Amino acid sequence: MRRLAWVYHPDYLLHSPPFEHPESPERLVAITEHLERAGLIPRMVPVTPDYPEDADVLSVHDREYLNKVEDACRRGDLTLDSEDTYLNRHSYNIALLSAGGAIAGAKAVAEGTVDRAFCAVRPPGHHAGRGVGMGFCLLNNTAIAARYLQSRHGVGKVLIVDWDVHHGNGTQNIFLEDPTVFFFSIHEHPTFLYPGTGRRWETGKGKGEGTTLNAPMAPGAGDAEYRATFEQMLEPAMERFRPEIVLISAGFDAHRDDPLADIQLTEEGFRFMTRHVNELADRFCGGKVVSILEGGYETLSLTSCIEIHVRELLGE
Amino acid sequence: MFVARRMKKTIVTVPPSASLLEAQGRMRGYNIRQVPVVSEDGTLLGIVSDRDIRAAVLPAGLVPGFTAEEAEKFMKSTPVERVMTRKVITATLNDTLEDAIVLLHDFRVNALPVVDAAGKIAGIITRTDVLEAFIEALGVGEVSSRLEVVVPDRPGTLAQLAAIIGSFHVNITSVLTTRHVEEGKRANFFRVATLNIGPIRKAIEEGGFEILDPTRLTFP
Repeated sequence: MRRLAWVYHPDYLLHSPPFEHPESPERLVAITEHLERAGLIPRMVPVTPDYPEDADVLSVHDREYLNKVEDACRRGDLTLDSEDTYLNRHSYNIALLSAGGAIAGAKAVAEGTVDRAFCAVRPPGHHAGRGVGMGFCLLNNTAIAARYLQSRHGVGKVLIVDWDVHHGNGTQNIFLEDPTVFFFSIHEHPTFLYPGTGRRWETGKGKGEGTTLNAPMAPGAGDAEYRATFEQMLEPAMERFRPEIVLISAGFDAHRDDPLADIQLTEEGFRFMTRHVNELADRFCGGKVVSILEGGYETLSLTSCIEIHVRELLGE
Repeated sequence: MFVARRMKKTIVTVPPSASLLEAQGRMRGYNIRQVPVVSEDGTLLGIVSDRDIRAAVLPAGLVPGFTAEEAEKFMKSTPVERVMTRKVITATLNDTLEDAIVLLHDFRVNALPVVDAAGKIAGIITRTDVLEAFIEALGVGEVSSRLEVVVPDRPGTLAQLAAIIGSFHVNITSVLTTRHVEEGKRANFFRVATLNIGPIRKAIEEGGFEILDPTRLTFP
C-alpha cells in the first residue's frame, strides 16, 4: 500500500460551460461520486489546494496572457478565441486553483507526506501554451507543477508522461528547448486527431533535442499497441533520462467508448499504463508519481478507468 | 496562384566559366542541389546539378592511378559550361503553380528556373517550394481536427457540409476533395479548428453523409 494524496477542491465545479460542452463540471461530480461509492476516498490522504503564488504561474505563462484571460472573465466573455475554450466569470480563478491542485499534489509528494498523488483538477491544461489557451485548457497545470518542483524543491529532472488521447502540444512547446524536463506523449496520430501535432520526428529543439518523445498511434490502436509502445519507448527513455519525479498528464479519452477520438483502449489498458509508470518510478525515482487529470468525456469509462488508476496508485 | 508568388527571388547562380569545384562549393554552401548558369546580363544559359558534376568526375576516376589531387585539378580546370544541361526546363513569370507542379512531375526535374519575357532569370522554384505550398494548403501543423466525408458526386454537397460545420461556429482551415474509390462518389477532407469534433461528426451523419471511420483503415 502507498499513501496517495487525493487533491480536490469543490470550487472546481464553478468553471461551467455557457453552452453544451463535453468538458463540464459533471465529469468531476461523476468521478467523486464513483470513488466514494467504491470506498476509495477514505483510503486516500485528502489535500485541499490553495491558489498558487504568482511566481509559480509566471514560471510557465506570460503576464499578458494571464491578464487577457482575467479581463475576458471579468468582462463576461463566453469564450477565449474559440468555442472550444469557454469561460465564465469564475474561469480564471478556477484555472489558477486547478494549477494550484497540481502544485499541491507535487508538494505533498516532494515533501514525502505521501508517496503518490492524484489531482482531480479542471479545467485541464496540456493544450495551454505560454501565451495561449486552447482545446478546453487555460493554464498548463502539469507544466506549472514541473516548474514548481524545480524552483521550490530543488528537483533537477522531471519526466512527464502524457497519455491523454490528444497530443499535449502546450506542454511540448513549453519544454521544447529544456533538457531538464522530458516530455513523453502517446496519442492518436495527428493526421486524424486534434491538435494535429506530435509527429514522431518532433523530438525537441536546441538544448532540449532528445528530451521530447512522441508516440503517434494509428486510429483503432488498443491495449496491445499501447503496451508495446510503452515498453519500447518510455522504458528506455526513462532509463537514459533518470528523472527525479514523474508527472502524468492523465487523460482518459483514449478509452474505446470516448466519443472524441478513435483509440480503443479498455480499462486494462489504463491499468497497464498506471502500473507500468509506477514500476518505472519505483526503479528510477523512489516511486514519486503525481497524476494530474486532463481529458476523458464519457462518464462510465471515465469513472471506471479512474477507479482502476487510483487503485493502482494506491498499490492494492 | 502564380509561380512568381512561390519562387525564390534571391537566386544562387554561376557564370559559364565557373569551375566545377566552384559550382560544387556554392551548392554545398547554400545547401542546394543545382545552380542556374547565367551570363553577365542574367540570360539563362543552362543549369548544373550536383549529379552532373559527379557524373563528369566519375569517368576520370576510373582511369588507373587517378588520385584525389588529380580529381580536384580536373574539377578546378573544367568550366561548368562543359557539363551543364543546355535545354533547361523553365517556368515563366506567367505560369501558375499548377503549371510548375506538372512540369516538375512530367520532366522529372528538381527545380525550374523562372525566366522573364527577355529570357533573363527572375527566380527559381523547386520541389521543396511546391511541397511547402501543399503543407500550407493541407493545413498540416495548424491546430485542428480532421474529418473525412464520402459524398455522392453531385452539385451542392460540399456546400451542405460546409453549412453543417458552420452551424457549430467552427472555422474550416483546409478543404480537399478527390475522387473516391467507389464509382459516383467523392471524398472530402476537412480540417476544422476545434477539438470537439464529435457533435460535428454526428450532425454530418444525421445529414445523410458517410464519415470515414479511421479505425477501419487497414494497414499492410
